[in-house]
Amino acid sequence: MDTIKLSIFSIVGDSFCVAAEDGEKVFKQIRMGIEKNKKITLSFQNVEMLTTAFLNTAIGKLYGEYDEKTVKKHMSVEDMDSSDKLRLKRVIDTAKVYYANPNQLEDSIKTIMEED
Amino acid sequence: MSAETLCEIENSYYSYQQLINLYANHKEEWFGDIDVNLYGWFSANSSSVLGAILTKFQNNLNTVRIFAEKSESILKRNGFLSHFGHSKAIDYNHTAIAYQVLSTEDDRYFNNYVFKEFISRPDLPVMTDALKRKLAESIYEIFINAKMHSQTEKIFVCGQFFPKKHKIIFTITDIGIGIKNVVNNRFGSNLSAIQAIEWAIQDKHTTKKDVSGGIGLALLHEFIKLNRGTVQIVSNEGFWELSHTGKVVRSFTNEFPGTMVNISVCTNDANQYMLSKEVTDDIF
Repeated sequence: MDTIKLSIFSIVGDSFCVAAEDGEKVFKQIRMGIEKNKKITLSFQNVEMLTTAFLNTAIGKLYGEYDEKTVKKHMSVEDMDSSDKLRLKRVIDTAKVYYANPNQLEDSIKTIMEED
Repeated sequence: MSAETLCEIENSYYSYQQLINLYANHKEEWFGDIDVNLYGWFSANSSSVLGAILTKFQNNLNTVRIFAEKSESILKRNGFLSHFGHSKAIDYNHTAIAYQVLSTEDDRYFNNYVFKEFISRPDLPVMTDALKRKLAESIYEIFINAKMHSQTEKIFVCGQFFPKKHKIIFTITDIGIGIKNVVNNRFGSNLSAIQAIEWAIQDKHTTKKDVSGGIGLALLHEFIKLNRGTVQIVSNEGFWELSHTGKVVRSFTNEFPGTMVNISVCTNDANQYMLSKEVTDDIF
């Protein structure tokens, strides 16, 4: 499998990667790469600020389209510090839970309503 | 002509109730003259909340005038009064974090604001890099939440340093539909404002459709706990506060026209904020 490098900084055009709309641009490029059966290295070089909203859309959304095994096979990251790795890990763990059972949020609301 | 007086406005439930009363008294008024007297102390970061309310009045083509005595200097230095016919003053004390009104498309402008006011600022209180970053991340998470969920047109931000108290207070206010309506519209539920706030701050709880989320407010919550700071949320008729002394929830008489998130962060905090979990390369 060929490897391609995607630079978050280049795709977003800024070192502050905070908006979900910018995350969507990254998501589309990753999806294109996976569809062409490429291994993708996401580079976070020159990225100074990340939000979970950005990461949810850029990377978390992949788990809504592909199974975990496929994402793991295709994705890796580089130039990411420990703090951001932890943040990304949390985004991914949340995405796995969410896409495994999208109805759980409705259920949590029902539980509150029933308690009343 | 109507005149209102706000007394000793600080970051408290009672102060927010005064601000909500101000809104309730004039929300239906059009083409009027509304004078607001600020009596005694006015916590500079509360410019964010007052600015949001007064903007709603201005949107109804009311003429708003502010009379501040004790707080005039700081409210000129943080730029707030310049939005209401006063001149701006230079912040020689270096304790003001500027009042700004942003539209939801102003991401890049907000980037510059955070960079200028928090990251590159030489007169910022001494903070570890980890804390400075955590603070900036928290501010972004709140801003993005307001932008994505609240259906607001504008976002109002303001803060203040308290160097002797080793504290930064920062407030972000929107004039959207409020957390209660965001949650209830999404799920067809009938939660109260407090129930909706409590639901929204829990990890993995999001109102987004087809995208996971709900981490931003949970991270903020965890950061403030570790920092021994305070976070307050005012949304619709709900008040929610978490500090090292515990949690406080209360209801207001009347509704706030949107959502305010206020954080108070201890600047003399040496936590590293990333050593609690082993960092792994097995991310995916």
